[in-house]
Amino acid sequence: METIRKELVGKMDESKKVLIIIPAYNEGDNIEKVVDNLITNFPQYDYVIVNDGSTDHTRKVCRERGYEVLHLPINMGIGGAVQTGYRYARDNDYEIAVQIDGDGQHDVGFLAQMIQSMQKEQADCVIGSRFVEKEGFQSSGVRRIGIKFLSVLGWILTGVKVKDITSGYRLVNRRFINIFAEDYPTDYPEPEAMVITAVHKGKIIEYPVVMRDRENGTSSITLKKSVYYMFKVTLAMLIRRLSFGVRRQK
Amino acid sequence: MIPHTLQVTLSIAVICYFIIILYYLKKKMLELKYTLIWLVAGVIMGIMIYFPELLVWFVGQLGIESNMNGLYILCIAFIMMILMTLTSIVSRQQLKIRILVQELSMMEKRIRELEHDTEERTDDRESV
Repeated sequence: METIRKELVGKMDESKKVLIIIPAYNEGDNIEKVVDNLITNFPQYDYVIVNDGSTDHTRKVCRERGYEVLHLPINMGIGGAVQTGYRYARDNDYEIAVQIDGDGQHDVGFLAQMIQSMQKEQADCVIGSRFVEKEGFQSSGVRRIGIKFLSVLGWILTGVKVKDITSGYRLVNRRFINIFAEDYPTDYPEPEAMVITAVHKGKIIEYPVVMRDRENGTSSITLKKSVYYMFKVTLAMLIRRLSFGVRRQK
Repeated sequence: MIPHTLQVTLSIAVICYFIIILYYLKKKMLELKYTLIWLVAGVIMGIMIYFPELLVWFVGQLGIESNMNGLYILCIAFIMMILMTLTSIVSRQQLKIRILVQELSMMEKRIRELEHDTEERTDDRESV
């Protein structure tokens, strides 16, 4: 038993341990396709689904298929779910954590190149970006203006340019796994997480990816919520930047 | 300044106020930590019933001409302060719940896997 275990550990050390975090809230219709694709085509990566207190058959699907899954007993919002993944990555000594959406928007095929460019450029965080090459699903016009605004705001606050600041497709190294495990924004976390990364002086690069439009279900951000979204995210980014202001001087 | 009858009524009210707080404390329905601010408020109310001049003086110091307006402003300020404390308590608890839920989910996964392993092992033994 002990030798098998050592062998396993030895094998894992060869390639960098990579964990894919898949937050899922009522994604019963999508999750199977996403995870089966991962298991068959990308067995080199570990994955963990974070079932964020879903009320649909997500739990059942996970049990029947025997997926690696963390069930949150109550709904914590996307930020709380993703953070669970980072905690899991920290506690299980993963070197790299990747977050993708549970709805199949993000193509894991890009991951190998993203990891490569992370190592080549010694980056702390790689964001899969729709807007570098402008291919695939580009989101509606109004939304793009919102993203542009947040992107410019992030640039003003931190001096770091990230075009696709709301992209939920990002990977971080060990250092930021630890930081995010302790401190991750609650809802609509992506732009705020970018500010956290930047104020911790992490190197952020964007890697061009092609995103698909969602197949089932709707985006979590409806038109009605988008005003609240912009207001809340703007404020959150400002406060993040201010509360790190003193620390950055050191 | 305050008529005697009113003074008595108010005193009874304040006493009831304290009894309710103490009752809740005794029943452990209130955490003492969060009750201190209410107790302090009760003490201040008690003092003001017997020494209303203090309030008049204090309101005057603030530059408020009408005593009643001054009293209302003070009350609103105090209530806002308590509400802010409550919001902060709620936020802190939310953070704690978040950590609890996350740790719980990880523990649940470990138990699930352990149970699975044990089942397999017993199955193996039975088949042997």
